[in-house]
Amino acid sequence: MSSEEEPAGKREERKSAKKKTRGKNEKLLESLKSIKSREGVIGYILRTSDSASIDMKDPTKIIDYAVLSSTALEAGEDLSKTFELGEIQNVLLKGKDAKILSLKIEDQHLSIFMEKNVDHEKIYKELNI
Amino acid sequence: MSKDQYATALETTLKEIKNICRGIKSSFIFTKDGEIVAGDSEASDTIKKALHSFQNIREKAEAIGGIHEFYVDGSEGNIQISQVNEMYLATAMSENADTKHLQTITGVIVPTILKLLKDIVRAPTPLKAVPSQQLTVEKVTGFFVSDSAEVDQTILTEWSKFFKGKTIDAVEIQAPNGKTTRCKVKAIEDKRLKEKSLIRIPEKRLQMLKVREEEVVRVKPITP
Repeated sequence: MSSEEEPAGKREERKSAKKKTRGKNEKLLESLKSIKSREGVIGYILRTSDSASIDMKDPTKIIDYAVLSSTALEAGEDLSKTFELGEIQNVLLKGKDAKILSLKIEDQHLSIFMEKNVDHEKIYKELNI
Repeated sequence: MSKDQYATALETTLKEIKNICRGIKSSFIFTKDGEIVAGDSEASDTIKKALHSFQNIREKAEAIGGIHEFYVDGSEGNIQISQVNEMYLATAMSENADTKHLQTITGVIVPTILKLLKDIVRAPTPLKAVPSQQLTVEKVTGFFVSDSAEVDQTILTEWSKFFKGKTIDAVEIQAPNGKTTRCKVKAIEDKRLKEKSLIRIPEKRLQMLKVREEEVVRVKPITP
């Protein structure tokens, strides 16, 4: 059966799933916009397999932050496998000056960068995942 | 105090913590170089592999001022790696563990014990002091260049004596600016370059270290 002959029911189902995902993404971007405006939040990177949304206060640090956040997520996955921690909910990396909260939302990787004193738990709750 | 006594003291501490805090799956203490000093679980290859991933972040964490804490929250448990004095304490917990309680206990007990042991030993770490070498950099370029550094065979032999004759296959290189990197190492093959206190480093690594040719770097072996 070619795609043109796909039953109308299935097509509708696919359309509605796409719409739902788009709706979720819009909601997530809205939440991120609000989080970004908080004091102490440096920015975020939202990455899918083929695109990325980046919003950073200091664009010169984008590459450093991007590399660090994806390395942290990878290390989190390795540690999770080693110690049988199950599916990763979130990864938190704290440094002397800043911290990164990284998480996987379906096929998207989200990393939020903030100053050390920002309440990351509050931000995590605000994402409503 | 010997290295064994030091490790035993730390292992006992970890065991006692495990006795009072339910839900600890595994805990261990390791150095900044990724060497496990003490642990209630065997330093298996998988843990070593996981530590290698952690070392990867450490190399890139300058952007946030180094790593003070790394926390992974999973659906069936979590792991926390915290910097304690000059070492890291890793604690893997099950889902139902009281994380806050555990953090309070480890945050008080482990640093105290480490400080105490440090005072007894009167040295930063009880690990075997392997002499680092100051070597002059020579750049290695080319299309098929491997990622290994090259040092004189005599240095490798000298280092291996500190590890019961084990082969040294990796080193840590520290640049004058404080940047460090780890890479594989092999002996210099070119006869003309032997015994000249040289270290041949691939160009990419040099860029990472922000070091130029003929600068002097500090090189030490990584425990095989």
